[in-house]
Amino acid sequence: MQIFVILAIPLLLAAGSFLSGRQKIIGIANCIGYGLVLFSGIILLKDTALSGRGCSFLGFIYLDALSAFFIFIISVIAFSVSLYSIGYIDKDMAGGRLSGKKAKLYYLLFNLFCFSMFFVPAVNNLGMMWVAIEMTTLISAFLVGFYNTKESVEAAWKYIIICSVGIIFALLGTILFSCAFSISGLSRSLNWSDMAGVAHILDKNILKVAFIFILVGYGTKAGMAPMHTWLPDAHSQAPAPISALLSGVLLKTSLYAILRFGIIVIKGVGLAYFGHLMLLFGLISLVISSGFILVQKDLKRLLAYSSIEHVGIISIGFGLGTPLAACGALLHVLNHALAKSLMFFGAGNIVNAYKKHNMNAIRGVIRALPFTGIMLLLGVFALCGFPPFCLFVSEILIIIAAFTNGSYLIAALLLLFLSVIFGAFIYHFGKMLFGNLPKGMTPSGEPLSGKLAFLFLFVLICALGIVLVLKIEDLLWITRNLFQL
Amino acid sequence: MVIAKRVPALIRSFRYQSFFIFLVTLSAGFTERQGDLYFVALLILVLKVFIIPVLLNLTAKRINVDEGLGLFVNSQLSLIVALILSYCSWVFSRSLGFGLYHKLLGQTVAFSVLFIGAFLMISRMKAFSQVAGLLVMENGIFLFALSVSGGMPFFVEIAIFLDVFVSVIIMGLFVYRINKLFTHIDVTKLSRLKG
Repeated sequence: MQIFVILAIPLLLAAGSFLSGRQKIIGIANCIGYGLVLFSGIILLKDTALSGRGCSFLGFIYLDALSAFFIFIISVIAFSVSLYSIGYIDKDMAGGRLSGKKAKLYYLLFNLFCFSMFFVPAVNNLGMMWVAIEMTTLISAFLVGFYNTKESVEAAWKYIIICSVGIIFALLGTILFSCAFSISGLSRSLNWSDMAGVAHILDKNILKVAFIFILVGYGTKAGMAPMHTWLPDAHSQAPAPISALLSGVLLKTSLYAILRFGIIVIKGVGLAYFGHLMLLFGLISLVISSGFILVQKDLKRLLAYSSIEHVGIISIGFGLGTPLAACGALLHVLNHALAKSLMFFGAGNIVNAYKKHNMNAIRGVIRALPFTGIMLLLGVFALCGFPPFCLFVSEILIIIAAFTNGSYLIAALLLLFLSVIFGAFIYHFGKMLFGNLPKGMTPSGEPLSGKLAFLFLFVLICALGIVLVLKIEDLLWITRNLFQL
Repeated sequence: MVIAKRVPALIRSFRYQSFFIFLVTLSAGFTERQGDLYFVALLILVLKVFIIPVLLNLTAKRINVDEGLGLFVNSQLSLIVALILSYCSWVFSRSLGFGLYHKLLGQTVAFSVLFIGAFLMISRMKAFSQVAGLLVMENGIFLFALSVSGGMPFFVEIAIFLDVFVSVIIMGLFVYRINKLFTHIDVTKLSRLKG
């Protein structure tokens, strides 16, 4: 039942932001609404993870631990974004970048965007899932082009065209899956709950071809290199809270789609085929992103390339295919969303204060914005996988799995690129955070809601870093159940 | 379609193509005796033959730029490329090796429509041809679904149509915005974001 609450609240809030007068009230209502969503998300996750089975409503909505986990991630990030948005939109309105009407439009689009993302893991039908993912593209294109400058409209155009073409290939893959289904003499259906049970009797060749289309198609949306070209543009031009949503959860919803088809392929064709493809794309993503991170000049583009890197790590985790690695990859989906949202919030505050994206012109953040500066410094260490933060746990799980699995080359490459990226991050952020203030800058205060968003994410990152280690046995059991490894 | 040099010609040929797909769907409805397919055919007629081309024409009129598509590859060469792509799709669908022989022809046509749509997107400079190319690709996908499995489940089909419709509106809005900000819709000149 919680799922209906989760789906209804964003819609109600969207209607509310359309009707209501003041954007401050809308912002606070959003926070309360997404707090409720987060609460029901937690209950949902607890129920489905403990029961270990999926449940479906009316054949249209289907929930198991995997979808509940993704819904939980979306609700966490949506809640923190709604907290952060209040202060961010206020600043933008005070700075004259937004009018009152546009602020209302922002909240309307934000809620619709969240609704479409909650919809993706909730639907049973794989065709409807395609429609939902395409809806996320279409709605977020407006948010990417929100400032209506030349750069942002260009980014939005690239985003909408590249992702639409990519996702058309995913539709082709979906049709091939349904074709494999109908050739085996079963009734024409795209329902996940029907398909997962009979995966082993489907035609292997068709499944193989279909999965390549799916991986290329949804991989474009998930930001896997070499189909990632839209991602740095869109992430750098969108408003900061939207960048956090794009990077934290939008990429993950397409990963979810890949996983759904992947489970069918694992059952039908075998683990090796799925694993090799995921490993290939994961390694390409790591290589390309680490190169761009080293030479990057733009703050938000740096974070965008880091998202590509983490998507690469996650797909390597799934590609290794042992329960330990899959567990690590799933946790990394959550952990990366937390850390990356924190970093994008920090980047948003910096860009607001300095009015620039160029990292060479930004100096002395810790003096100008003490709170943001400290949070960013801790965030960099979290993002690079330092203990005691939770990203360390998920990354070390993947690396341990690679070693125990005997894939030494993969483990070595993973460690190499992680250390390169770590060095680059410390270099870039060290220059930015420390140093003297540029002339004419004075230290300025930060809004309370923004600080709360930072603290919420940071506490989660620290707490998960400890809790995950203690609960690892239970998590392994759930993952094993989920993928039936 | 590949020899069209100007926006109205491209839209007109898209309209003809959609009309043929309408006929194919209708005939599939006759042979397979499915009520759903009649409804889908009607939807194609309304959306793809009438509403979407009219919308595209309206956008073209409103932005009022010169109507050339800006061909990277001239129309004769494009025709040859289209022929080669059709042959490739024949080879491709044969090597996929599923379905019966009479389905192979449908698959070949579908893949060649898909490939030609992709070719249209990359070989023309104006933002308009990318929208049209995307629509052509979608037509190809639809044909493919029809030829291999008699279409997708009914309400998925409806949802996909609505989705395409919405995406055309949104892309039209963005073409309009690009034109207003840059005073042109030449996508090769959109190169501010790099690295």
